[in-house]
Amino acid sequence: MGSSLTHKGLKHDNIYYFWVVVFFIIMTGIVLAIYFSALQIDYTWRWYRIPRYFAYQEQIETKSEIDGEVQSISKKGKDAVVLVKGLEGTESYAVRASALRVEEGDQIYYGDPLASYKKWRVGILLEGLWLTLKVSVIAIIFGIAIGLFAGLARISSNPALKWSAITYIEMIRGSPLLVQIFIWYFVLGTLFNNILANHGISQISALWFGVAALASFTGAYVAEMVRAGIQSIHRGQTEAARSLGMTYVKSMRHVILPQALRRILPPLAGQFISLIKDSSLLGIIAVRELTKATREVVTTSLQPFELWFVCALLYLVLTFSLSMLLQYLERRQLVV
Amino acid sequence: MIDVKNISKTFKSHSTEVKALVNVTAKVDKGEVVVVLGPSGSGKSTFIRCLNYLNVADEGSIVIDGIDILDPKTDINKVRAEVGMVFQSFNLFPHKTVLENVILAPIVVRKKSKEEAKKKGMELLEKVGILDKADVYPDQLSGGQQQRVAIARALAMEPKVMLFDEPTSALDPEMVGEVLDVMKNLAREGMTMVVVSHEMGFAREVADRVIFMDDGAVVEVGTPEHFFTNPTHERTKLFLSQIL
Repeated sequence: MGSSLTHKGLKHDNIYYFWVVVFFIIMTGIVLAIYFSALQIDYTWRWYRIPRYFAYQEQIETKSEIDGEVQSISKKGKDAVVLVKGLEGTESYAVRASALRVEEGDQIYYGDPLASYKKWRVGILLEGLWLTLKVSVIAIIFGIAIGLFAGLARISSNPALKWSAITYIEMIRGSPLLVQIFIWYFVLGTLFNNILANHGISQISALWFGVAALASFTGAYVAEMVRAGIQSIHRGQTEAARSLGMTYVKSMRHVILPQALRRILPPLAGQFISLIKDSSLLGIIAVRELTKATREVVTTSLQPFELWFVCALLYLVLTFSLSMLLQYLERRQLVV
Repeated sequence: MIDVKNISKTFKSHSTEVKALVNVTAKVDKGEVVVVLGPSGSGKSTFIRCLNYLNVADEGSIVIDGIDILDPKTDINKVRAEVGMVFQSFNLFPHKTVLENVILAPIVVRKKSKEEAKKKGMELLEKVGILDKADVYPDQLSGGQQQRVAIARALAMEPKVMLFDEPTSALDPEMVGEVLDVMKNLAREGMTMVVVSHEMGFAREVADRVIFMDDGAVVEVGTPEHFFTNPTHERTKLFLSQIL
């Protein structure tokens, strides 16, 4: 309704379509500007090199280890056994029947392929994307749990709980995430892993300290949202729930939190989108997520322009999907 | 059933102190309907809220069904489960349907099975006359319908006492009747009820006793007949002359 009012008289006018065209001219202009600037420095665009970093085919070969003659090939379903008779004896090789490259009676020399086939492998960019997704999902889940607990502690009347929550929230919100990642990895990580080593327990990898940094960071912001959400629910709701004999926990669980979470869903969505983007910082503690993976590919392929655009696009796919998912949840609840 | 002795309650903020209740003593017997009347700010809402610990009395004693609710060792949740409360602003749970509102507490507090709670819930909705709205959300109901759901929700716990805190004050005039009818039926069935209200007609017709409060104190207690036709205190007479 609002938009139809503001665009009144503009929507079906020629002027409206004029500005639509202007929009597309601006977009095309930006793309062309980048393209022609790249020409100025003799940059060669090689988009065809990009797909291999998502997935590539690896050649897998079975090679003969002796000189000789293929004596026999016995097939059994999908498998085959190749017998090679040489001067010093016979060697047998189990291969895939479909991958066979030789026939009975062929002369074979050392290193000749008896069978070869291609296998799809996951490329480094896709691995990085997967790791980013994994880190983000785990950090979001823990972030919600921490935020819920800290938010409830924040509004508790118990000073130990309340002051702990305030200290946690203020410390996290008052320092840069990058510094927090360094503290988690270089300070807490060193302490943890040394203690674990002293007890002969295996080490915790950088990935988990990265997840911990992101989860504790997100938790502080979620806590403030949870607090605001709960406080926005009318006091009468608690009174009604408690007057029915529900305990504090039951009234929170069944009456207050469901309503509060519904209200804070939009800001939560924004926070989780930030988390996905912030996970790009984990590259500095050697977690090979999407950004770090892209940096590695750039150094080997020397195609930085294409790769950084692809990297940004992949983040956009993640964040856009998440925002669609949360919008769907929000809409569904409005109908309910 | 309810035995209140000498309770006082003072609300304190930074600069002000408000004495909401001063030495209030009252008694409600089983099966009795007691209507609490009084001008705004007389402490009648504070009084009824003290009865199920939504406000905590500073001193005195409140014994409900033999349990002293001001005793720190008392599990207040057990007492509240036996005491139904209906609020001025309904306070239905907006994220749950009418039926879900009614069956929530029986399931999570009384540990009833869902089927059992639903069966009982439907009976209660029929009793308050909104069976056809069982699956809609509270915001689609009129004020009168919402308040009747709130009554059904309180009754679902099978309480021994029902407290009504100005149940019709937030309603449009044409909806007051339907809520009062439900309450009258309840009184006829022998439910013990404490009602804070401005509905003089209801007090006259249904109440066994009327308590008149002013400035946080009980001024006069008596049968409706005595109260409306032959009040003893000047303050009561003034109040009646203002509203009748």
